[in-house]
Amino acid sequence: MGSRLPLEGVRILDFFWQAAGPLASRTFAHFGAEVIRVESSTRPCTLRTTGARAPDREGLNVCHIFNNLNTNKLSIALNLNHPRGLAIAKRLVALCDVVTNSFTGDRMERWGLGYEELVKVKPDIIMITMPVLGATGPYRHYRAWGSHIIAGGGLNYLTGMPGRPPTGIGTLYSDFSANPFHAVVATMAALRHRNRTGRGQFIDVAQYESTICFAETAILDYTVNHRVQGPNGNRLPYAAPHGVYRCQGDDRWCAIGVFTEDEWKAFTSAIGSPDWTQEERFASLPGRKQHEDELDRLVEEWTSERTPEAVMATLQAAGVAAGIVQTAEDLLTRDPQMRERHYRVLEHPEMPPMNYDGQPIKMTDAPVELRRAPLLGEHNDYIYRELLGLAEAEINDYMIAGVFE
Amino acid sequence: METRENCCPTALGDVRVLDLADQKGNYCTKLLADLGADVLKIEPPGGDPTREIGPYVGDEPHPERSLYFFHFNTSKRSITLNIEKPEGRAIFRRLVERADVLVETYQPGYLDGLGLGYEALRELNRGLIMTSITGFGQTGPYRDYKSCDIVATAMGGLMSLTGFPEDPPVRPGASQGNHQAAILGAAGTMVALYDRDITGLGRHVDISMQEGMALTIIQSATQYYDLYGILHKRFGEFSPLGVPGARVIFPCRDGWVTFTPYNLNVPGGRWEELVEWMDSEGMAGDLKDEKWSDVWYLFNHISEAQETLARFLQRKTKQEIYEGAQSRGMLSMPVNTTADLLADVQLQARGFFVAVDHSELDRTLTYPGAPYRLTETPWRIARRAPLIGEHNQQVYEGELGYSARELDLLRAEGII
Repeated sequence: MGSRLPLEGVRILDFFWQAAGPLASRTFAHFGAEVIRVESSTRPCTLRTTGARAPDREGLNVCHIFNNLNTNKLSIALNLNHPRGLAIAKRLVALCDVVTNSFTGDRMERWGLGYEELVKVKPDIIMITMPVLGATGPYRHYRAWGSHIIAGGGLNYLTGMPGRPPTGIGTLYSDFSANPFHAVVATMAALRHRNRTGRGQFIDVAQYESTICFAETAILDYTVNHRVQGPNGNRLPYAAPHGVYRCQGDDRWCAIGVFTEDEWKAFTSAIGSPDWTQEERFASLPGRKQHEDELDRLVEEWTSERTPEAVMATLQAAGVAAGIVQTAEDLLTRDPQMRERHYRVLEHPEMPPMNYDGQPIKMTDAPVELRRAPLLGEHNDYIYRELLGLAEAEINDYMIAGVFE
Repeated sequence: METRENCCPTALGDVRVLDLADQKGNYCTKLLADLGADVLKIEPPGGDPTREIGPYVGDEPHPERSLYFFHFNTSKRSITLNIEKPEGRAIFRRLVERADVLVETYQPGYLDGLGLGYEALRELNRGLIMTSITGFGQTGPYRDYKSCDIVATAMGGLMSLTGFPEDPPVRPGASQGNHQAAILGAAGTMVALYDRDITGLGRHVDISMQEGMALTIIQSATQYYDLYGILHKRFGEFSPLGVPGARVIFPCRDGWVTFTPYNLNVPGGRWEELVEWMDSEGMAGDLKDEKWSDVWYLFNHISEAQETLARFLQRKTKQEIYEGAQSRGMLSMPVNTTADLLADVQLQARGFFVAVDHSELDRTLTYPGAPYRLTETPWRIARRAPLIGEHNQQVYEGELGYSARELDLLRAEGII
């Protein structure tokens, strides 16, 4: 049987900007949907202007984060602040299945592209919006980036060493996890429902609420047990040894997780069954938890004489979960698993060849091929001439008027 | 805020899911269940191992009181089944024939060894979507490596960025490795399901926890190494982006806040407004001096400016800073505790938290609510997490046609 991509035939008018939204629409694009980014050089996406760029490159197409998050998409330049831009946008809506939006507040409504208006153009349209705190509520106009949202969402408070101040998660974490992928799940649910019933709908993914849904048992522990969960470092109540252990080398570490008594036996055997591993106090999980400081010290005596690579190889060979605390350098230059499954080097007319992140969702009979991100307005011709069927003279007219920029 | 089964149309009401997922995938099947799918949690006789994960109701360890199990198994039904026994596998095959989705988290090859791998199951049901969530995926040199949340966050690079530089790297709280892998599994399942509806053909979805984690560091680490050979490590309280030395987290009177005051010609910065705010309380230090209005001077002396800012914020509460900053167009959110979340007026106005009936405990418990709101097919918790094998009779007798006596025999033989 032929391999067709699962979302072939789906067309999305994409007003997502920055990171969270585009990572969601990147997923649709990778799986075959036609994702049309609506952009304007009069107000380019901040990731086209402020992201890290290749040395000595200028312009709106040389920020790597933008190019990485927008592979496989199309781009049109459309100035929605121009009075004639709106009519073009609506003609495009009529041809699309989904319209996306991550502006906070009522920007789309003020442009005349709110859900109530879109439904008049296409009754079964699906609109998804990703405001920070929600489309409703007293704080609906508040703004924040991922580094604030994870704090607001409770994840920062749960992270870190007990007794130390909170530190965050080292990245704008919610932009690359809960928020884009809740948006993907919700959009697919709506598309499926539309196919089955002919009805579209409006989707509100409040980034704050979406992030809170990644807090595991923290909410229930408070509402049921009145306990405010705080950080637990690298420990878990139901595993030992479980943590991060210093290895040979500068700032090199290995993570280890031993959960069952079988794994404990495998672990002790793998490290050569030193006398201390036979002590009664370490023979069961409760004992290992009770003496965990000493246990960790003893494990680290073993790891600190080895590289993290050797620790991982030795323990994995024995069936024990262990992994190097890898850096970006490890991932890009030393990790064979990531090289095989994840990173792809792409060419780009305005950038040197770079490593791009592949699609972590893999599935059979869906040959996802990465194609470089679009230059701003690169597909004006295809969209305006072919898709909308505008005549040459009309297009020139719009360009002179400043609508297609 | 009550929960009712089938109160309104659901997105997945016609979808049957077989759930063999552990911690790596239970959030995936929760998402499907809360969107209406009939998710059968398949537990070994005696109960799923994740029932041994706390915390527990009233801190009393018991397989029917695990808050971990409650949270991740909302809206699901439970059957017990031992797939290690041939008779158990025969029953499983019958379930696969009438299922749409199977989610599993076993080591690659384990189900193949039992004759229950994707190739075998596809023969029974061409439309089956099998979603496998594992530490490193179904392929590659590390495919047989064991994983868990801490190993995934380590191997995926996220741990190298988390914590203070002078401390060991630390695992992000609340098991982000598990959550990210599981949500990618849900997203993949939904994409495959969309196409299955059209073609009638399923797919095998393959998720690697490591790749999920690696995706989260592209902006703050991977690209800097690829572009410049600069290796970012643990950031502590500083920002992973933007001006070097810029703090994000500041202590205040009753905890900590995140705060981003400076303007990098991106929307959100309000430097002048900030200085005015501080000055109105006599706390602006020398920040009103002409030199600070030069953005490059600010960037190059950011730590000095931040000391003044830190003194200003130190005197205020989280809520004062939050409202004061946002009303002036500044980017700030508190480092919220769960107590803060339950008291948050925005979440209250949105009705975010939901009550779920636990008649077996004679109580109603308050759960986190919807990650998304769909107007036609809303998220909802259909029921509390199931008791062990709570739906054995409904499924085995009601659907598969076993008699009560046959079930007794299966139970006695440890098959269910």
